[in-house]
Amino acid sequence: MAEKLLTIKHLKKSYGDNLILKDFNLTVNKGEVIVVIGPSGCGKSTLLRCINGLEPIQGGEIKLRGEIIDGKAKNIAEIRQKIGMVFQSYELFPHKTVLQNIILAPIKVQKRDKAEVIKEAEQLLEKVGLLDKKDSYPRQLSGGQKQRVAIVRALCMHPEIMLFDEVTAALDPEMVREVLDTILDLAKQGSTMIIVTHEMSFAKAVSDRVLFLDKGEIVEEDIPEELFENPKTERARRFFNTFEYDAVKHHTKTSNQ
Amino acid sequence: MKNSKFKKVLALLTAAVMIVAAFASCSGSDSGASNAVYRTLDEIRESGTVKIGVFSDKNPFGYVDENGDYQGYDVYFAERLAEDLGVEVEYVSTEAASRIEYLQTGKVDIILANFTVTDERKEEVDFALPYMNVALGVVSPDSRVIESLDDIEDSDEVIVISGTTAETYLTENYPDIKLKKFDAYAQAKTALENGEGVAWANDNTEVIAYALQNSGYTVGIPSLGSNDTIAPAVSKGNKTLLNWINEEIESLGEENFFHKDYEETLVDTYGTDYEEELVVEGGVVSE
Amino acid sequence: MQALGIEVLLKGSNFLRLLGGLWVALKISLIAVLFSIVLGILFGIVMTYKNPLVKIISRIYLEIVRIMPQMVLLFIVFFGTTRMFGWNLDAELAAIIVFTFWGTAEMGDLVRGAVSNIPKHQYESSYALGLSKAQTYYHIVIPQTLRRLIPLSINLVTRMIKTTSLVMMIGVVEALKVTQQIIEANRMVAPNAAFGLYLTVFILYFLACWPISLLATYLEKKWSA
Repeated sequence: MAEKLLTIKHLKKSYGDNLILKDFNLTVNKGEVIVVIGPSGCGKSTLLRCINGLEPIQGGEIKLRGEIIDGKAKNIAEIRQKIGMVFQSYELFPHKTVLQNIILAPIKVQKRDKAEVIKEAEQLLEKVGLLDKKDSYPRQLSGGQKQRVAIVRALCMHPEIMLFDEVTAALDPEMVREVLDTILDLAKQGSTMIIVTHEMSFAKAVSDRVLFLDKGEIVEEDIPEELFENPKTERARRFFNTFEYDAVKHHTKTSNQ
Repeated sequence: MKNSKFKKVLALLTAAVMIVAAFASCSGSDSGASNAVYRTLDEIRESGTVKIGVFSDKNPFGYVDENGDYQGYDVYFAERLAEDLGVEVEYVSTEAASRIEYLQTGKVDIILANFTVTDERKEEVDFALPYMNVALGVVSPDSRVIESLDDIEDSDEVIVISGTTAETYLTENYPDIKLKKFDAYAQAKTALENGEGVAWANDNTEVIAYALQNSGYTVGIPSLGSNDTIAPAVSKGNKTLLNWINEEIESLGEENFFHKDYEETLVDTYGTDYEEELVVEGGVVSE
Repeated sequence: MQALGIEVLLKGSNFLRLLGGLWVALKISLIAVLFSIVLGILFGIVMTYKNPLVKIISRIYLEIVRIMPQMVLLFIVFFGTTRMFGWNLDAELAAIIVFTFWGTAEMGDLVRGAVSNIPKHQYESSYALGLSKAQTYYHIVIPQTLRRLIPLSINLVTRMIKTTSLVMMIGVVEALKVTQQIIEANRMVAPNAAFGLYLTVFILYFLACWPISLLATYLEKKWSA
């Protein structure tokens, strides 16, 4: 049967009295692509941050291949190497070139051979069409290019699971596509991913399973075809409605004639 | 609320640290005396070098010439001291404000930096016999030479530089004399030349040098107020060195050393007329 | 030339002495700045810790540096250490210590500012890549802090060079002291030399500081994100 990669049990996360995630449970199988959607403040970004140990949790447990993820534990840096994360605000290191950004962690953390890492980095850059930018500094790149470099940087660590936190939210519309295509490619290659996004058609295309989160709880969980076309809960329906607009320009057709 | 409380605590702590530091430095100076920060005569001779604090920018007492060598009335004496001690001399450039510190910390053996003997300073350092007189002097234009403070009339103003001994002396002893005060030497000089005052009161060395360089002016009062002296100073309690310097000054008197010193170093600035006025020979101040 | 009295500079070794004095001033400030940068980075990072004791101690240190005139610090280090501990520090060393004490506080404050200006996301993306806290500081935070600091620390160097004139109080003969010596030694033969000499010193200081600020501008441009 499917191999369980990530398991989250009874996860509780709060900021002071503000409960963000209450009794959250999730199992992610190897090769599975999970999309998390929901209104802002529903806890979806916090969920990713908890999975990476960037947030202290107040209850429950998160395990990657049976190893507990705890931001304060000694082995956290080791576990994080297996989790690739890409943030909304493409945080490349501004003082390093594209190539240096990518090879820093494989060389310094994983102690891999420099020549081999550079070769791999160049191959990955080639795939996302940015090989000619390898010696550029982040400030010389567009938002979409930066985000693709950030993805390559995470991939070069050979993570077992990738987390994408609204990676296109800060991008100009014409750059969204190039980034999403890159992620779609990863999905095709069988990467395990958890993707938080507002791009509904992309979510539909990429995901094996969609979670609809609201107020720190999974309200609905289904395959994309079902959840998007035929939401079972009122809250999900209301959420999808916010993406649709009623036409107001009744005279458009006549004026065009 | 919280912030002001924090600031209060901070102020208290800072004050505490500073008080401790102040106490530490006070107690340090007390114990310093018993710990003998100074070097005795024998120790200086053994080391082969005597460290003498002098001015490096007070021509003609202590200054550095164009070859980088120390010169002046104090330095001429210092050279002789070293010679008679049989050691090399190492000059330390001192400032007026740091002379006492240098002796109290034993960083120099002797201060020969135009050091006027006062009661306050006697508490801090030991002075040897004097080798020069200082007093106040008054310079005025030849057209109306002020030869006594009684010559100054009610409507007259006397020029002084703020913060000098002359200002203090006149304010305390002659409150009726109107003073015209200036901050800098150059301003006072211009004021006298423009006739803004009938006379200029300052250290007598200064007014004597001025009258010599500027024709048309005379030092009518070459010596005014309490006649102070200039003497070498050593660290408090350094008896062996002090006694040696005193004996040296007495024996140098026999060869009229300080008159020779004056003629070598001061005569260009003060002329021959004031030699007896300024020089103290053999440590004996003539009244 | 005659009116400015600059000709006294040509007498004997006067000009060389002036350059020597300038070198002393530069040496003290450059060494002090190097130490200040290294110690200031450590101090600045320590100051970003939220430990209340650390905060109080660093606040006291900063306040002492702010309140105490550098002159007092010079006297404390040069004379005070002799009184208290019997140390006989070389005057230049004492000056370097005081300037480092002062520079470390200023640098530390700048570093604290620069470090806390580095976005939280820089730390998080570094942690997310598996870098440890120490590695994050070494590879990510400190290099970026340094770039922000270089223009500021060059400003500190130039201020230090200006403040070195105080070290004459503890017997160090630097450029301004040499100037005073030359003016005084020639006050009979060239009474108006002061203006010309101070002008010369001004030009020398300028020539010494100008390349330093050019470098700062260059680095600032090169690294501006």
